[in-house]
Amino acid sequence: MYYLELLINGIAAGGTYALFAVGLTMVYGIFRFINFAHGEMIAWGAYGVLLFLAPPFGLPLWLAIILALALTAGIALASERIAFRPLAGRAPLVLLIASIGVSFVLRGILQFIFGADLQSYGVEISGRIEIFGLVATYIQLAMLGLSLTFFAGLYVLLRFTLLGKTLRAVADNAELFGIMGLPLARVRLVVWSLGALFAATGGILLALDTNLEPYMGLTNLLKAFAAVLLGGAGNVFGALLGGLIIGVGENLGTAIISPGYKDLIAFAVVVIMLLFRPQGLFAVKSGVR
Amino acid sequence: MNTRAITTGIIAGAVALGLSAPAQAAETIKIGAVTPLSGKISIYGEGFRKAMELAVDKINAGGGIKGKKLEIIFEDNASTSQGSVSAIQKHISIRKLPIVFGPAASSNFLAVCPIAQSAKVVLIAAESAAAKISNCGSYVYRVFPSDKLQGKGVSDLVKRLGVNSVALTYVNNDWGVGLAEVFKAKFTAAGGKIVGEFAHDEGKTDYRAEALRLKKYGAKYVVNLTYVKEGATLLKQAAQNNYRPQWIMGSATRSAKFVSLAGKAAEGVIGTYPTVARDKAPYKAYLAAWKAKYPGKKAPIFGEYNYDMVMVAARAIAAAGSYNAEAIRKALSAAGKSYNGVTGNKAFSAQGDILNATYGVWTVKGGKITEYKK
Repeated sequence: MYYLELLINGIAAGGTYALFAVGLTMVYGIFRFINFAHGEMIAWGAYGVLLFLAPPFGLPLWLAIILALALTAGIALASERIAFRPLAGRAPLVLLIASIGVSFVLRGILQFIFGADLQSYGVEISGRIEIFGLVATYIQLAMLGLSLTFFAGLYVLLRFTLLGKTLRAVADNAELFGIMGLPLARVRLVVWSLGALFAATGGILLALDTNLEPYMGLTNLLKAFAAVLLGGAGNVFGALLGGLIIGVGENLGTAIISPGYKDLIAFAVVVIMLLFRPQGLFAVKSGVR
Repeated sequence: MNTRAITTGIIAGAVALGLSAPAQAAETIKIGAVTPLSGKISIYGEGFRKAMELAVDKINAGGGIKGKKLEIIFEDNASTSQGSVSAIQKHISIRKLPIVFGPAASSNFLAVCPIAQSAKVVLIAAESAAAKISNCGSYVYRVFPSDKLQGKGVSDLVKRLGVNSVALTYVNNDWGVGLAEVFKAKFTAAGGKIVGEFAHDEGKTDYRAEALRLKKYGAKYVVNLTYVKEGATLLKQAAQNNYRPQWIMGSATRSAKFVSLAGKAAEGVIGTYPTVARDKAPYKAYLAAWKAKYPGKKAPIFGEYNYDMVMVAARAIAAAGSYNAEAIRKALSAAGKSYNGVTGNKAFSAQGDILNATYGVWTVKGGKITEYKK
């Protein structure tokens, strides 16, 4: 029973890690750099809802969520336009450092507007279901449900639409893609807004589950990073599996080690993967699969 | 960014360059403060700053310190020990201040106390409780009771409830570990049994694994020595998992924020806290002054200790005669002994700990923090 409960918590947490990981892995697959600012999309998604819930907006939760998602996508596109596009084609290290800078700026703005104080939405969704004494809250169910839905949608997009083919083509060979005269603009738009959308959704779920603080993006970025490494950088569905493995692993791990060292598992995964299998468990040579 | 810190930095730089002996020439007496104005525990930091400024206002309104105005220079430490170290370095080596108010959170305070001790600068803590701080050295003082006293307070409370076996969890830093150790020693010495214990990390959003571990221990009573956010999340997630033991907590969670974050899960929690005589004149005067200066704001947790810290320091500086660390340190003992402040008498032991502290018991009833009555 104890282990089953740990498993449920792990799957729910893993679902959000997977949501966080998608943008990271897609940007890596197509633009070939690790976007450290991706964590801020998690935080901005969560704080966006807070922004639209509170006065002067005072909107209902569902509308606030939609607007927050749009806002986060807008921020992602703006950061791409202002910081990353001018640096396109430079060494990955340059882009990585730029992304760290962007992350500082975005987090700084967040703290400036909302303060460093801990916040909560003030709407408590406290429902939960119980089967044979096993408990899962609605939010936890939403974490898993939404991430599966999102990934299913992504699968359809990548496999069966022209846009998906375009994405896979550019990931395969960006230069050739350009020579063929295909539109990179649309690819950018889709990749950045999809990544932000996934991350913001995860952030909102996390905030509904617990609370908000400006550093929430940064702390969860590590988990996303571990999921990406596990799944193989650039592999979108690997990220889903990676996220679930990390979530379940760290929760089941606490049956053996002290829960205080739970984050150790994600760190250990990062180190072990980098040492022994940097291409990931479900390796693809390059590109988005 | 922290514009105040930048401006004060610029001003301090200008003063240091322009004047040969800024301490004597200045019309104001400056005390440094290392305060968590951003980061993990900034929930508390803003309240500390306001309470300290309240004391400064009171002193300056009464003619200052021997005619000189008092000013506190706040330096943000971003709630980290690295931040605390660089903040105190600024106070000590750039501004050459002889007295500094140390940072909250015992881990951060412990990071700066050797620096103050070796630079021979007086360092005072307002809310750091770790037992280890007693060993910091002869320049380090605190106006808050040590965990040696509070660890015993929690153990006494559990015994008083007639409980003989508990599970124990504590936040994994100097404060939590120190408090837990003292509690364990006192509780087991009194014949109590600890059925299971572990440390939990600060600043996470997911404490479900911790909640399940406690549930597995099956303890009806859990001693949970932690902070606001960690405590609120853990209690909430334990309740979601149908685990509702009697939580016994320390003083750090005794805040309205804790209750609002934990919601219904906080109901019925009990804990100890260093008591302040709220029905006596000094506290009433403090509260009235707070309300006058910050209308509509609740008096913050530990605000009264910060207030008393400034008052004791001001008395010591006035008595010291000259504004240097050695003189202030020598004057502190007498200043503390003769000061019956908002939080009681501040007589110091040889280790710089206060000697007198009594513990009350708090509980949450109907979403409000109240006095626990059995």
